[in-house]
Amino acid sequence: MNIAVCVKQVPDTETKVKLTEDKKAVDESEINFILNPYDEFAVEEALQLKEKYDGEVTVISLGPDRISSAIRSALAMGADKAIHLQVDENPQDPNVVANALAAELKNGGYDLILLGKQAIDDDHTQVPSILGEKLGLPSVTVVIKLNIDGDKVVAEREIDGAHEIVECTLPAIISTQRGLNEPRYASLKGIMRAKKIQIEQKPAQLSDDQLNIIGFEYPPQKNPGKIVGDSADAVPELLRLLHEEAKVI
Amino acid sequence: MPSKALPSFSKALFSGILLDELLFPYPKMDKEEAENLKLVQETFKKFADDKIDSQKIDEEAHIPDEVMNGLKELGFMGLSVPEKYGGFGLSNTGYVKMLEFIGGTDPSVAIMLGGHQSIGYKALILYGTDEQKKKYLPKLASGEMVASYCLTEPGAGSDAAGIQSKAVRDEKRGVYILNGNKQWITNAGIADFLTVFAKEPITDKDGKVKEKISAFIVTRDMKGVSVGKEENKLGLKGSSTASLFFEDVEVPFENVIGEPGKGFKVAMNVLNAGRLGLSGGSLGALKHVMRPALAHIKERRQFGKTLSEFEMIKEKVAQMTIDLFATESMIYLTSGLMDRGDVDYSLEAAMCKVRATEVAWNGINECLQMVGGLGFMKEYPYQRLMRDGRVNMIFEGTNEILRMFITLAGIRDEGEYLKKIGEALKGPIKGFGVLTDYATQWLKDRVMTEHIRDVHPSLANAKVQFETWAKNTHFSAERFIMHHGKNVIYREMRQERLANAAIDLFGMISTISRVDSLIAEKGEEKCKHEIMIANVFADQAWRRVRRNLLMMDSNADRQMGELSDFMVKQGFYPFATESMEILL
Repeated sequence: MNIAVCVKQVPDTETKVKLTEDKKAVDESEINFILNPYDEFAVEEALQLKEKYDGEVTVISLGPDRISSAIRSALAMGADKAIHLQVDENPQDPNVVANALAAELKNGGYDLILLGKQAIDDDHTQVPSILGEKLGLPSVTVVIKLNIDGDKVVAEREIDGAHEIVECTLPAIISTQRGLNEPRYASLKGIMRAKKIQIEQKPAQLSDDQLNIIGFEYPPQKNPGKIVGDSADAVPELLRLLHEEAKVI
Repeated sequence: MPSKALPSFSKALFSGILLDELLFPYPKMDKEEAENLKLVQETFKKFADDKIDSQKIDEEAHIPDEVMNGLKELGFMGLSVPEKYGGFGLSNTGYVKMLEFIGGTDPSVAIMLGGHQSIGYKALILYGTDEQKKKYLPKLASGEMVASYCLTEPGAGSDAAGIQSKAVRDEKRGVYILNGNKQWITNAGIADFLTVFAKEPITDKDGKVKEKISAFIVTRDMKGVSVGKEENKLGLKGSSTASLFFEDVEVPFENVIGEPGKGFKVAMNVLNAGRLGLSGGSLGALKHVMRPALAHIKERRQFGKTLSEFEMIKEKVAQMTIDLFATESMIYLTSGLMDRGDVDYSLEAAMCKVRATEVAWNGINECLQMVGGLGFMKEYPYQRLMRDGRVNMIFEGTNEILRMFITLAGIRDEGEYLKKIGEALKGPIKGFGVLTDYATQWLKDRVMTEHIRDVHPSLANAKVQFETWAKNTHFSAERFIMHHGKNVIYREMRQERLANAAIDLFGMISTISRVDSLIAEKGEEKCKHEIMIANVFADQAWRRVRRNLLMMDSNADRQMGELSDFMVKQGFYPFATESMEILL
C-alpha cells in the first residue's frame, strides 16, 4: 500500500504565544516546534497499515526550513521517505496549503492519504476536506476507527454526540482523531535511521492567498476572582455584587 | 583521554597563565547533533509523561519493568556507545544534555542510566580492545546487559587506592581468581556487566612484586558472583544499590580492561569523564522544581501581595537563576573541552561536579522554602528531589576530596615550576598523580599572561574582575606553596579556599565566554538578562574569591583544628548552661 501522510510543524502545546510588535504575526523566536499531535495518529496509522499490507509511507510537509525537524520526527517513527514543499513563510490560507499539497499528491499514485484532523496552531480544520475536493477523492474526517480490506474502507468518525460509520473505496483521504491508535515513540535507532534519509526538497506551488490577516489580539485579561465570604452571612453581599457589579442577575 | 602534556585551563591559571584560547568562543553543538538531541529529548519526554511516575518509583523503591523495558527498547541504554557498536553515539555534550534532561524528569532513572553508561561501561569505551567492545557494547547499548562500576569497598571509599579485592593469575588455566567485596554499587541488583577493580601482584622492572590495581570485566553469570540485599536509602530509591561479593571467581585473562596494573588510572579517568553527567543531572533536578515553585510564588498571596512581590523571595529566585546559569556555563564549556579531545579537563570536571551538586542542593532547598509548609509535604516533589540530590555531594568523589584534588593537582605544576618542593607534591593523595601530568615544559614556553582577549563592552567589567582575581589567586597559590612547602597537603582549609576561588573564577570566565558568544550571535538587545547574570555573578564571585584569598593568610584554622580535636576526644557536646543539666 502506497501511503502519503501530510504533516505540519506546530508550536509545542506548552507555548505561551507572543505576538510581534506590529501584532501582524506570532513571534516565533522563542517557540519550540513539534510535530502536530494529530498528525502523529496519521503517521502511526500509516505505519500499522504498512506493517499489515506492506508498502511505503511518504511524509509530505509544507513550510519554511525549520520544519525539517518535524519531518525527521515522522521519519524517526518509521516513515520511509519525505518530501518538503518549501515556502518562505507558512501560508495563512488553508486553501493555498491544500492546493500545494494536491499538486504534489496527484501524481504520487497514493492509495491512501492520511492527515491529522487539524493543526493545533491555527485550528482551521479545513485542509482534509478541501484536499478531497481538489483531488476528487472521498475524504473522511475526524476518524477514530479505520478498517481497510482490499480497496474497501470502513471508517468510524466522531460527530456531535454520536459516531458515524462511513464506507468508501481507495484511494481516499482520512483525517485522524485522538483514539484511533497509540502513536509509537521514535526510538533512538529510528532517529538514527531518519538521519540518513534524504528529504526531497522542492518549492511549493503556491496559489493566491485569499485570506487576509489584519492583525492578532491577545484575549482580554481576566480580572482576578473575589471571595466574598464562606458562610451564609456572605449571601446578601454576593447577591449585591452579582447584581450591581457583575450584572448577571 | 588526557595522557600527557595536554593543556589545562585551571592548572595554568594557578601558574599565572590564562589559556583563554581554550575557552573562547563558547563551544556549540553542531546543527545535526542538536537536531538529533531534540528528537531524543522529545522521545524521552513523551515516554516519561506516559510511563514514569516518580512519586510511585520513590514510594515503591523500584523502577517498574515496563519503564526499564521501554528505556531499553527505545535505546536509552546506548546513548554514548559509538554507532558502530550499536549505540546512538552522542558527543559528551549531547550525553550530558540528555542526563540533565533525564535528571530533570526522574533522578532515580537518571542514576540508573548514568551508573550504566557514565561509569558502568565507560572503562570499556575508553580502554577496551576492539574485541572486548564488539563482544559487549552492542548488548550494553541495547540494555540486554546493564552495567555497574565496582570500585568502592567497605574499607576503601575516598581512598580508592586502598581496595582489598584480589585477583591472582592462574597461568595454567588462563584465568584470574578474583576474591573481594564491593559496597554501595549502583545498579548492582540489575547489572550483568561489572567493571571490577582489584589488586593483582605485578613484578616491576626491578624484580620486586607489588600489588597493583587492574580493571576486570566480570559478568553476573560467572560462578562465585553474588549480590547482597538492596540498601534502604534516603533518596534515589528507585535505583538499585547493593553489595557485590566475589568468591573464587574465574575471570579470563582477556577480560582485563587496559593494561594489568594500570587499573587505578582507568578508575580515575572513568570518574573524570563521568562527573559531568552527574553535574548535568543535578542541575536538571533543580530546573524541574523551579517550575512549580515559580508558579506557587506567583499565585500565593500573603499580606495582600503575591509571594513573588516580596524582596527576600526575589533574592532567592534571582540567586538560583544566576547560580544555575553560571554552573551550566561551566558544564557545557567543559563538555566542549572533552569533545575537543586535546585538553586536560580533569580539574574543570571536578569543579563542575562540586559546584553543580551544591547549587542544586541549595536551589532545591530554597524552592522548598519558598513554597513554605507545602514543601514539607510528601505529595509535593520538593522533599523527594532534596533526598534524591543529597548523595550527589557524596558519591563519585566527595566534594571535600574533589576540592583537595582541584587545589593539589592545580598547584602541582606551579610547585614544580617554582622548584621549591619537588617530589613532595607529586603524590599528595594516592593516585592523584596520574591525573596531574600536565607537562611543565608546556608552561616554560610561555610568559605569564594577565589578560584575556577582548570581550563585548557590556562584559568588560566582569572581564577585568576575572583577570584581577585570577592573578591574585595565582600569587596566593604561590605564597601557599612557598610558606607551607610540602605541608600544603595537610593545609586542607586553605586548599578548600583556593579550590573555591578557582571554581568561582572558572564560573566567571565560563559565563563571560558564553554570554560573549551569545551577544555575537543574537545582538546585545536580545541578551539583556544574560548580560545581567554574567555581571552580577562576576560581582558576587570576585567578592567570594577575595574573602577566600584573604583567609589564606588570616584565619582561625589552627584554633578550629584544636577545637575539633578536643571535641572528638570528648565525644559529645560538653558545654552546659545549667550546672545540673544532663548532657545529650
